[in-house]
Amino acid sequence: MSDLPMSTTAHDTVIAVRELHKRYRLGRDNYVHALRGATLSVRKGEMVAIVGPSGSGKSTLMHIAGCLDVADSGEAYLNGRRVDTLRGPALSKVRGREVGFIFQGFNLIPSLSAVENVALAAEYAGASRHDATARARDMLDLVGLADRMTHKPTELSGGQQQRVAIARAMVNDPAIVMGDEPTGDLDTATSEEVVAVMRTVNTERGTTFVIVTHDPEVAEKCDRTIHMRDGVVEDDGGGA
Amino acid sequence: MRTLRNIFRRKLRAFLTIVGISIGVFALVVMGALAEKLTLLVDGGVEYYAGKVVVTGEGGIAGLSAAPLHINRLREIEKVPGVVRVSAAVTTLFDEEPPSVSMGTIPTIQAEDGRAEGYETFVLEYAEGREITNDDTGKIVLGSDLAKQHNAQLGGHVEVRGERYEVIGILEKTLTAPDNSALMSMRDVQRIIADEDLPDVVSASLNPDTIVTSFAVYLEDGQDPERVADRIEDHLDGVVAVSPTDFEEQVKQPLAVFTSIIYAVALISLLVGGLSVINTMTMSVAERTREIGVRKAIGATDGAIMRQFIAESGLMGLIGGVVGLGLGWLIATGGNAAGEASGNVLFLVTPRLMLGSLAFAIVLGVVAGLYPAWHAARLNPVEALRYE
Repeated sequence: MSDLPMSTTAHDTVIAVRELHKRYRLGRDNYVHALRGATLSVRKGEMVAIVGPSGSGKSTLMHIAGCLDVADSGEAYLNGRRVDTLRGPALSKVRGREVGFIFQGFNLIPSLSAVENVALAAEYAGASRHDATARARDMLDLVGLADRMTHKPTELSGGQQQRVAIARAMVNDPAIVMGDEPTGDLDTATSEEVVAVMRTVNTERGTTFVIVTHDPEVAEKCDRTIHMRDGVVEDDGGGA
Repeated sequence: MRTLRNIFRRKLRAFLTIVGISIGVFALVVMGALAEKLTLLVDGGVEYYAGKVVVTGEGGIAGLSAAPLHINRLREIEKVPGVVRVSAAVTTLFDEEPPSVSMGTIPTIQAEDGRAEGYETFVLEYAEGREITNDDTGKIVLGSDLAKQHNAQLGGHVEVRGERYEVIGILEKTLTAPDNSALMSMRDVQRIIADEDLPDVVSASLNPDTIVTSFAVYLEDGQDPERVADRIEDHLDGVVAVSPTDFEEQVKQPLAVFTSIIYAVALISLLVGGLSVINTMTMSVAERTREIGVRKAIGATDGAIMRQFIAESGLMGLIGGVVGLGLGWLIATGGNAAGEASGNVLFLVTPRLMLGSLAFAIVLGVVAGLYPAWHAARLNPVEALRYE
């Protein structure tokens, strides 16, 4: 603990990772070194963008910080709790309750309606179906989809689907929401609209956002931009 | 409800898989109902043969088509050590010609000399009317199936072998051999045998009153029926003595083999249905890899994913089970209704068969879903999310 950056244990730090390494095996004796000692911290209430060329380790960093994947070495803290040592159900539990994810391809479950998609995340976090549905309705209202609750994903536009995904990410009132190219599949106008929704949630609810993006316009709208290259954070844009 | 929606995302595939299970359960129910009926019939026979020895002439089964015996042999049997009482009976076919194809019991007419009273433990229950006695010539008591076939009513008449008999009693339904039996006086049955069954050459030299087709032999307390049966065969020529053990060996054991075979055939067809569930669920997991990644990303544990897929396969088993059970029940009930007129009541759908078939279908669905569900639960969320 003594070697950790100050921000790791500071009360306003949501994410603190230090010296993360991650290799993926692509085939026999063929490895991709996705992270080579990435260090980063994100404060509560920030909306940060992570940018960098393809293969720079942006998504991997986000996955490990969001408890979706585990590092080969290094340390990761989420809301002051060490998470790099967690595995299995413990990791799922933290991920479900403290992290929300938004993906490029929306990734809604096609057989479920908008409200069911949102409620599902709350149910996985332990809410009863009744409570989960009530919370899901509130969230869809927040993202401006009160009149689309019972629509299936195929009945919604791309922007609407991504709003449902934002509502789903928010339903457990997580410490942080992570977006992996959340505007990648949207046109410029819709992209702006979705970023605006995220900014509104960020401002009104104080939710921290970390957005991996290739789009400079999205990065511009964030509080700071973290640059990655070759598996390390090249510039943390003025973080801790 | 969500589970149901997930199953029917691929409607045709889900439908075909459920049809596969339904066919298996259908086969299990129909064949099981056949086995249940046969078991009940044999159990009825076991109950009848319990604690006594039945003596017939050689060459038949339970008096049917065996050479008739003379009433004098009753005294001979009574002298055999261990025998306490002997009762004479006459049995013949209800119809002149037995049905050419019969899967059930053949309709028969029976009469007893009444000497078994106080010794016989096999009791027939009456739904209507009264018991027949040997003074009741021209009268008849009908088993429930025979009564139904002949639209017989108490006080009415039925025709047997060209003669009209007054119906004085109808037996309770037992689902066993007595349902297809009629009871008459000794004199009437003996006359039918002498006049119609035996060749003229034989019957001309016979006094019909002396004809017996079987003797029920009751034993002294503590006597082993098998040993008494052996003694009877040793003391008397031209007779076959059947003990309860003999009956079980002759009928119950072959039935057990037959029952095992028909259950095995049904189970194989059900297992084929199970394989189609494995196939369907494996394809479903492959198609929904990305969705599994998303579910994990939003907090689903491995256990939650596993439960979801097992619930889907179990529900397919349940639906297939209900459909198969319904179809099987329809066929069994319809088959019984159609066969009732000819005495071919072949099926017996028991509660244990219904519950067993349904439970088996659900267990099969769950077990068939285990591997695909386990595979789904083990997927790495990051890799699953990248899956195209």
